[in-house]
Amino acid sequence: MHNYAGSRSFRLAEGIQLRREKFGLLFYNYRGPRIYFVPSGNLIGDNFFDGRKTIEQLVADIRREHDLPGKELRLRLESLVRLLEYKGLINGQPLC
Amino acid sequence: MGNRYVEMGLSAPVNVTWEMTFACNLNCVHCLSDSGKKRAGELTTRECVRVIDDLSSSRVFQLNIGGGEPFTRPDFLDLMEYAHQKEIVTCISTNATLIDEEAARRLDHRLVYLQVSLDGATAESNDAIRGKGSYNKALKALELLRKRNMAVSINTVLTRFNFVELDQLTRLAASLGAKSRVSRLRPSGRGKDSWSRLNVSKEEMVEFSDWLNRNLDVSTGDSFFSVTTEERRALGLNMCGACKLTCCVSPLGEVFPCAFLQEPEFRAGKVPDDSLGALWDQSSVFQSFRLLEIKSCGSCPRFDLCHGGCPAVAYHTQRRLGTPDPGCLASCVSVKSDWTNADV
Repeated sequence: MHNYAGSRSFRLAEGIQLRREKFGLLFYNYRGPRIYFVPSGNLIGDNFFDGRKTIEQLVADIRREHDLPGKELRLRLESLVRLLEYKGLINGQPLC
Repeated sequence: MGNRYVEMGLSAPVNVTWEMTFACNLNCVHCLSDSGKKRAGELTTRECVRVIDDLSSSRVFQLNIGGGEPFTRPDFLDLMEYAHQKEIVTCISTNATLIDEEAARRLDHRLVYLQVSLDGATAESNDAIRGKGSYNKALKALELLRKRNMAVSINTVLTRFNFVELDQLTRLAASLGAKSRVSRLRPSGRGKDSWSRLNVSKEEMVEFSDWLNRNLDVSTGDSFFSVTTEERRALGLNMCGACKLTCCVSPLGEVFPCAFLQEPEFRAGKVPDDSLGALWDQSSVFQSFRLLEIKSCGSCPRFDLCHGGCPAVAYHTQRRLGTPDPGCLASCVSVKSDWTNADV
C-alpha cells in the first residue's frame, strides 16, 4: 500500500505564499480566492513546505516538543495536507 | 470563514493600499483622494524603495496601487518591477489613458493585476464622470492588455447614472477579456461634493444587491458587504478589513486605516521613517480601530453578513465612527413598503 505520510514531501504551488501567524498558517493565493487559514497553532512551521520533509518526519518533530498521540497526529496532518493539495495550495512529490 | 483568525490579529497586513501620487491627468468628479496636481512632500523614488523593502520584510503579500494616476510617476514601472523582484503582487488601479505598448510590455508579469476604471458603458456616460476622451483612451489600452492576455478587470464606481448600464458594462468587460468589478461611491475627496448627486437611492441599492446575486462572478472587493446576501457570503469576508487585513499608505507616506479615512485623526504614522510593521502592531489608531463595534447593529439579523458595514461611509456621513453604514441593506429594505416587516 502506498505510504502517503512517509514517502512524499510538499512544496508551495506556483503563486502561493505562506506566513506564520498566531493561529497557525496563512496561505495567500494570487489567483484567488486570496487567503486561506490553517489553525495549526505552532505545530507546523512554514519550512515544512520547502519539499524536504515527509508527514512522518513532521510528526516525529512535533512529538519531540509536544506530548501528542502519534497516530492521531499523523491522520490529522495527512487529512490537512490532502486538503491543501486539493485546493491547489501545495504540491506533493516523491521524496527521493 | 476566517473572521475569528483575523480577529486574533495578523502579524502584518495581507494587502496594503498605496496611493503613490496625487497627480492625475483626469479630473473625475467623484475622486476619493481629490487628485489633480502632484503635491509637495510626495515620496521620492528612494523613499518608495524603502517602503517596498519594509513591506517585503513584514511579508505583506499584495500592494493595491492607486492614486492619483500612478502612471504619471516617471519611476512607476521601475518601482513595480522592484516590488515584483520581492515577490509582492501588485494590483494597479488606473484610468489606463497613459498605458501604451511599452508600458503594457513592462507590466506583462505574472504578479500584476490591472483594474481599469470605467464609469459608464458608453463614452457619453463614462466621460460625464471621468472627462472627455477618457473612455476611448481606456478602451485602446484595454485592447493592448487583451492582446497580451493580461489579468485585467474593469472597475466601475456605482452611481445612479451607470446603475442601469451594469449588464452592458459586464458584457463590455467580457468582450475585452476582462473581469467586472463594481466598487462603492464613498463621500471622501471630491466624492463629498458629488455624493448626493451620484449616490444610488435605497431602492436602487436593493436592486443592485439582487443584481450582484445574479452575477456572482462580478467582484466587489470589500465595498458592498453592507448589502451582501447569503448567496455571496462565500466570496469574501463579511466585515471591514481596515487595520485587520489591510491599511493605506498615502502619497506622502502617511499611514491610515483605509483609503477612505485619510483624515488627520486617523493618521497612524509615516513610512518609511516609521516601519509599517511597528505601526501595524503598536499604533494607537490601529489598536482602537480594531476594537470598533457598531453596537446598534448587534441585534440586526444581518449582523453576521456585514458587521455594521463600512465605517468610512458612516464617518463621512455622520462625522463619527461606531454608527451604522447608511447604505445597509436592512435599512434599505425597510423603505420598501412591500418588504416592510419582512424577515430579512
